[in-house]
Amino acid sequence: MKLKKVTAAALAALTVAGSLAGCGNSGGDTKPAAGDNQESGAGEVQSTQQSDAGSATGGESTKLTVSVWDNAVSPQFQAIADAFVAQNPGVEVELIDTQADEYNNKLTVMLAGGDSDPDVIMVKDAETQVTMKEKGQILSLDSFIAGDSLDLSIYDGAAEQLQLDGEQYTLPFRRDWYVLFYNKDLFDAAGVAYPSDDMTWDEFEALAEQMTSGEGSEKVYGSHNHTWMAFVSNWAVQDGANTLMSEDYGFLAPWYEQALRMQDNGIVQSYANLKTGNIHYSSVFEQQQCAMLPMGSWFIATLIQDKADGKIDFNWGVTKIPHPEGVEAGSTVGSVTPIAINAKTDVPDLAWEFVKFATSEAGAEILADNSVFPAVSSDTVIDKLASIEGFPEDGKTALEVKSLVLDRPLDAKMAAVRKVIEEEHDMIMIGEEDIETGIANMNERAAEAREE
Amino acid sequence: MTSKRKRAIRTNLIGYSFVVPNFIGYFVFIFLPVCFSFVLSVMEWDGSDVPMKFVGLKNFVKLFGDSTFQISLKNTLWYAVFTVPLTLVAALAVAILLNSKIKGIVVYRTAFFFPYVASLVAVGAVWNMLFQPEFGPINELLRFIGIENPPKWCASTDWAMWVIIIVSVWKYMGYYMVVYLAALQGISKDLYEAAGIDGATGWKKIRYITIPMLTPTTFFVVIMLTIQCFKVFDLIYVMTGGGPGRSTNVLVNHIYNAAFVDYKFGYASASALVLFAIVLIITLVQMRGEKKFTDFV
Amino acid sequence: METGKTRNKIIIYTVLTLLAALMLMPFAWMVFASFKSNNEVFSLPMRLLPREWHFENYKLIWEKIPLMTFFKNTTKLTVITTLIQVFTSCFAAYGFAKVNFKGRDLLFVVYVTTIAVPWQVYMVPQFALMGKLGLTNSHLGLILMQAFSAFGVFLMRQFMMSIPTELLEAARIDGLTEYGIFFRIALPLAKPGIATLVIFTFVNIWNDFMGPLIYLNSTELKTIQLGIRMFITQYGAEYALIMAASVLSLIPVLVIFILCQKWFVEGITAGGVKG
Repeated sequence: MKLKKVTAAALAALTVAGSLAGCGNSGGDTKPAAGDNQESGAGEVQSTQQSDAGSATGGESTKLTVSVWDNAVSPQFQAIADAFVAQNPGVEVELIDTQADEYNNKLTVMLAGGDSDPDVIMVKDAETQVTMKEKGQILSLDSFIAGDSLDLSIYDGAAEQLQLDGEQYTLPFRRDWYVLFYNKDLFDAAGVAYPSDDMTWDEFEALAEQMTSGEGSEKVYGSHNHTWMAFVSNWAVQDGANTLMSEDYGFLAPWYEQALRMQDNGIVQSYANLKTGNIHYSSVFEQQQCAMLPMGSWFIATLIQDKADGKIDFNWGVTKIPHPEGVEAGSTVGSVTPIAINAKTDVPDLAWEFVKFATSEAGAEILADNSVFPAVSSDTVIDKLASIEGFPEDGKTALEVKSLVLDRPLDAKMAAVRKVIEEEHDMIMIGEEDIETGIANMNERAAEAREE
Repeated sequence: MTSKRKRAIRTNLIGYSFVVPNFIGYFVFIFLPVCFSFVLSVMEWDGSDVPMKFVGLKNFVKLFGDSTFQISLKNTLWYAVFTVPLTLVAALAVAILLNSKIKGIVVYRTAFFFPYVASLVAVGAVWNMLFQPEFGPINELLRFIGIENPPKWCASTDWAMWVIIIVSVWKYMGYYMVVYLAALQGISKDLYEAAGIDGATGWKKIRYITIPMLTPTTFFVVIMLTIQCFKVFDLIYVMTGGGPGRSTNVLVNHIYNAAFVDYKFGYASASALVLFAIVLIITLVQMRGEKKFTDFV
Repeated sequence: METGKTRNKIIIYTVLTLLAALMLMPFAWMVFASFKSNNEVFSLPMRLLPREWHFENYKLIWEKIPLMTFFKNTTKLTVITTLIQVFTSCFAAYGFAKVNFKGRDLLFVVYVTTIAVPWQVYMVPQFALMGKLGLTNSHLGLILMQAFSAFGVFLMRQFMMSIPTELLEAARIDGLTEYGIFFRIALPLAKPGIATLVIFTFVNIWNDFMGPLIYLNSTELKTIQLGIRMFITQYGAEYALIMAASVLSLIPVLVIFILCQKWFVEGITAGGVKG
């Protein structure tokens, strides 16, 4: 009797769970073939779009949801949405705002749960578009692009960088790259010339040593390395010869040597202190505790804003990031923020209109007005960025990019490998592992992570 | 015979009627998804629409070849072995102290409960600051009393877990103290008075009356503490993120990464099932103990 | 004898005061930090008291995030969830503790062990289910999801267990129905337990972060913890404001704790009945 009941309960549970799994699958029935259906499906979309030509949005639903992160400090998202609404009366755009560090997780749950929201996805880390594509969660944009005969050359190669197996699943929205910030007042006080826009990393280290002064709480460090792995790996991949999806991470060794040397010589703050103290790089630079700071171009907007708010009262400058020996000045490392469309969206044509607008030259100018670097790199955009009030006049050189290497390659396994090599990075930087052991571990564990 | 059966049926119906309001919600919103995740443990699924694939025990086999899983299991056990007894003893001791009728008791109770209410993010930042290896006040104190090379705490693979254990005891002790405080109210004063007449002193009263009378509560506390220790995540996420290296990486970190970094939901479920099995065994053992003890009393 | 008692008292007071100070130290640091300037929070040498008092931090924080909306939402979610949780848990707990129905122990083990399954594992299936029911991005969804936790049942069962069975038998002989016994005898005796459950549910829902993060999209629905964390990632360097926001979010939970602990004291007299 008792046993019967248990089996019955177990069976019931299994059936229900099975039907749940079935629910997941039933949606899937249409999906596996999606790769082939895409063309025709998109074709239909296009035809409806052409039929109500002038009012691209005249369809059933006029509400569009767009997922973004850190909206309150990223005014460009709202600005783009407002401009889009102004162009398309009757359309409503809702931004789904999530904090940056949880953004990918929330998106994973929403997409895996089969939600039709968000319609448009801002992809925070470009490599996640690969997994989204593999899981059939985002639409191919090729037929949309062909239908509107969009010119992809305005992105200066960034659109091609985002292609997966020759297909375009996303369009580049913004692009950031590493530049070198410096504190003009500290350089003036020391009587040292400002950092040049053509320095090797060794020259940079010597300059940082020269700029280090003081003791205890008065100490000014020559430079500052934040705790991200990027502060070693970016310079190692800057020449484009290696990427972070590698069989052998030996190429990182000289860069670890430099990072540890600078730390041991007291030219930069120690990694362990920064990490355990949760110290934010902006507070170090803004409190004038370091003379130079290699950082992403996104920090320009922060500095302009904080200067305007009176939170900082010194003059800052910005120039090209230093480069490895034998690499041209102006070669830098950076990342692209792509936009994608949810495969489950209920308003695909409206979503496309939004993507098209946000990544257009008009959209780029809105970004530039908000001191954000768009993926479109036209002269107008660069002039706009350089002429923002508060941007240093001699800083325009930092905006000229000769070549841009992606900080992490677009690879489905990148996230898993990144986790592993970051753990080893941690061990090397706090001195629990020497460089050799750390790199050997990276090789071994990254191979495991790639295989699965 | 039939009347006995009738009575049994009646008792069953009454029992079910008490349980059912909670059970419906529990069944739909918790039990079903949990079952689903168990089914996942023998599947391969990346969270996409593509139908999941049955892979048998592959996920479990993989667990035992995965160095990160082994490290996180070891770390979790290490963490639980120290955190469970330390928290339990501290909570019980403080609860007994606070059960006395002294002035200003509300203030003390609130003070001990405080850490539990404080938001983890703020608390994590503050403790990281206090344990800062170079200029944090804890190491400054240690140097002051003559320890020349104090531990590097969160910047050291040997000490990071101890920081987590200390902060855990600090934070969760108040929670179990409250449970004990509430349970202490249920113990009749007469028992103590009778014991007093028999000449029992303070410690003997605690040993022979308080502790046995608290058995159902201790059962609850041990189970909940164990579960909580095996499920520890937020605190570590906020304080060390599993680092340095993998030294504070625990089971749920592992599960979280499997699901949200590697998109292997089947594998994540298999890891969770191991955790589930451990807790199930502990619960069953404890339940038998509880039965024996209650029968005995 | 009398001097021994005073000596004991003094020892107890000293021990308690020292321990309490230790417990509160990080919190004191937090409160004082909330009055510092951002730059001072992490500056060296470390000092407990602010050099200048920045009371305006508490004003600034209201301007930076819609705290009032967040407070309202969190209060609504917390109160409703706590009510449902307490009511259904007590009911079920009585069944588990005092009615010997068939399958009771098995069901109880199922309840307890599901507490052990980390939410991260069944988050996705649960979200899919809620999506199918149309309950995502709504408060109702979050309430239903959190109001039936097995934890509450477990906690209350343990309190009901310690109610002497003879007391219930006597009531049965007096002709009370099981429901009558539950409301008139078990529930009043379980008061300290209820107070405990109220506190825990309140604290957990109030401080919950992942639930609202995954389930709520619209800003006007969001909660206080979401607001604080959002604030931290967006203004990562504004430590003083982060501390101020954390201090503010603490106050309601503290009030609930202080209110509920009166019930512990009342419990003493209620417990006396049972003699």
